[in-house]
Amino acid sequence: MTVLAEPQAERTRRTRRSLTFSIGLILVGLHLAVALLTLVWTPYDPTGMAGGRLEAPSWAHPAGTDRLGRDLFTQIMIGSRIALVVGAGAVAIAAAIGVTLGVLAAFATRYLDDALAATFDILIAFPTLLLAMLVVAATGNASLLSAILALGIAISAIVARLTRILVKRVLAMDYITAARTAGSSWPSIVFRHVLPNIWPTLSVNFALQFGLAVIAEASLSYLGLGAPPPNASWGRLLQEAQGTVYTAPFGAVAPGLALVSLVIGMNLLADGLRDIGDPTRRRAR
Amino acid sequence: MTRMRTRKNHGLLIAATAMLVLAAFGRAGAQEGEADAAAVIRIGSLYEPQNLDNTAGAGQGINEAFNGNVYEGLFQLEDNGEVVPKLALEHEMSDDGLTYTFTLQPDVTFHSGDPLTSADVKYSIERVASENSKSSRKKSLSTISSIETPDERTVVVRLSERSISLPYNLTYVWIVNDEATDLTSSEDGTGPYRLDAWRRGSSISLVSFEDYWGDAPANGGVTFNYFTEATSLNNALLTGAVDIITSVQSPDSLAQFQDNPAFIVTEGQSTTKEVLAYNDRVEPFSNVKVRKAIARAIDKERLLSSIWGDYGTLIGSFVPPTDPWYVDLTDVDPYDPESAKQLLAEAGYADGFTFTLETPNYDPHPIVAQFVQSELAKVGITVNINIITANEWYTKIYQAHDFQATLQEHVNHRDIVFYGNPDFYWGYNNPEVVELIASSETSASEAEQVEKLKEANRIIAEDAASGWLYLYPQIVVSSATVSGYPVNGLNSQFFAYDITKRAQ
Repeated sequence: MTVLAEPQAERTRRTRRSLTFSIGLILVGLHLAVALLTLVWTPYDPTGMAGGRLEAPSWAHPAGTDRLGRDLFTQIMIGSRIALVVGAGAVAIAAAIGVTLGVLAAFATRYLDDALAATFDILIAFPTLLLAMLVVAATGNASLLSAILALGIAISAIVARLTRILVKRVLAMDYITAARTAGSSWPSIVFRHVLPNIWPTLSVNFALQFGLAVIAEASLSYLGLGAPPPNASWGRLLQEAQGTVYTAPFGAVAPGLALVSLVIGMNLLADGLRDIGDPTRRRAR
Repeated sequence: MTRMRTRKNHGLLIAATAMLVLAAFGRAGAQEGEADAAAVIRIGSLYEPQNLDNTAGAGQGINEAFNGNVYEGLFQLEDNGEVVPKLALEHEMSDDGLTYTFTLQPDVTFHSGDPLTSADVKYSIERVASENSKSSRKKSLSTISSIETPDERTVVVRLSERSISLPYNLTYVWIVNDEATDLTSSEDGTGPYRLDAWRRGSSISLVSFEDYWGDAPANGGVTFNYFTEATSLNNALLTGAVDIITSVQSPDSLAQFQDNPAFIVTEGQSTTKEVLAYNDRVEPFSNVKVRKAIARAIDKERLLSSIWGDYGTLIGSFVPPTDPWYVDLTDVDPYDPESAKQLLAEAGYADGFTFTLETPNYDPHPIVAQFVQSELAKVGITVNINIITANEWYTKIYQAHDFQATLQEHVNHRDIVFYGNPDFYWGYNNPEVVELIASSETSASEAEQVEKLKEANRIIAEDAASGWLYLYPQIVVSSATVSGYPVNGLNSQFFAYDITKRAQ
């Protein structure tokens, strides 16, 4: 492909695209930095009752205090860590289960493939949150680990379905036929040809699922099924702020903003990744 | 006597004056600023009854609307916790305490025009105690062995064993006409109001009953307006669509009324207790020193103000001030972390211990759990919080007793009896208390009953049988133009007949 002169429209589009990617990177990077910081330092003891009841935001307490007088900013910082751990953990589990099952289905005999595909479709028909709630209920005690596991399993169906379709598409390509003719074993085909080719699309999906997992964890915690207190999940902070939303609306605003910024950050990052990684899109229009 | 704080706003006088001025332009009728005997009082509530019969699973809402208003009992539980005769003019207990003879008020008629007779009373009591009655109270009437009606105005109730609480238990037995056919969607009572209309999903309106045997209501009627959601109920009061809210459940929503001179916020005393219940059967909670240490390690005053701001009451035991056997026991185990540590050391837990606190997932339990966790950490006790649903609480804790400690709100009036039942979920078993509570019911006099239960109350406090964190407030908010309403809401009742509204 030789490009002699890049048209003006194309150039602005690429700039905008990289802007999207940069904003996403900054937002997610910020959360990551805060999460790492909380491992060594927080402004206050997260469970310590440092201030008065429901103090409005001030220099001492930038996000105000909760009913027990705990600093909300400290809790929101720790919330970043919990959100990232849950998001990364859930996506890792979903990737491990989903990609394996997806590849398996694509390579399987027709009946097994049909059965697996139908299973994925049925699981996807259930909202992620509902599936996750079922898994938490089945594991008994709500904990950070059970939340990660539940979300990972719930999301894996989405990943498996996508992987199966992508692998099938790649398998129909001429170079696969060539590799098969050349006598390559199927593991070698998967690792040499299939996975590298579907990776760009999968990684975009992982970033999107990451954002979804963060919201789902907040919802689980909001319902009391996520990480138990005193883990400062944003969902739990929102749930606790709900009871005082008239007298202290700031208690709901700050965790809400934190949640929105991370999810938007992840989505922008996914958008940017898609544009960079997908040559067909780059040429399109 | 009930202690009560009325938060009248500083601007009340100004508001009243302003209303007087405004009223000059209003409709004529009663004198401006004076009680208008024809005014209809509009009451806002969240508890719409399922039907109109309290023996048919109608819910607490029917007691709120009908107890004392539409139906009366032989006795009535007043707002201050006292039990007074109502349709029973006189009553007499035999020396062995097994026979009660009631003489009925004369000239009482039902809303249908039928006169009240002893047969109606017999029918009404048997209705509550009957097999298909869904009344939550029917078990407490199980000592009744027979009811006789020697004449029109005399009822003789015979018991299988003494039951000093019989008059109290009769306060929730509505006296209904034995000829009434449909009590789930209509009524036939003897109260000062009769049912005017029930619009399902919306309201119940009551109007004065002309032939009422007692004093006529101070108002022209009442309408209970039902809301499904607290915010819309609050908005209805703010916009003047209702005059009064029977019970405000969240301190947060009070903020909009507190500093507004057009409203009065009144705090009464509820019977709802926030309890940190230990499983007294298991180590280390079987050790009284450990329980006392925990009681002393928690700053309950700070907890209460965190949850409710300036509202609510501290309690030193399970008995609220509206129970006849209330004693102020808050100084038995006052907040004192140092002595808590000492007690733990004496109990052999100098290095503390770890336990799991089963916490219902709804407000205020999770926040209370975190407070307890943080307070107990200071004396070396590690608390793991496990959040559970109300359903799980019932099966795992209430039924299976599979827990170390839990949080729960206990709403009932006169429920100290739970400590006399060693099989109750918290497993408190002190033979002395079991004996006192069992024998209190068969006391020969109320004084004896009160004496025994006060003693039981003191013992459970000394034993720190559970952690009694605080008593919820019962908050009624009204427009500044109405007065004369009950504030304690005992057994969900809301007597409307003394409420007046100033003309404006």
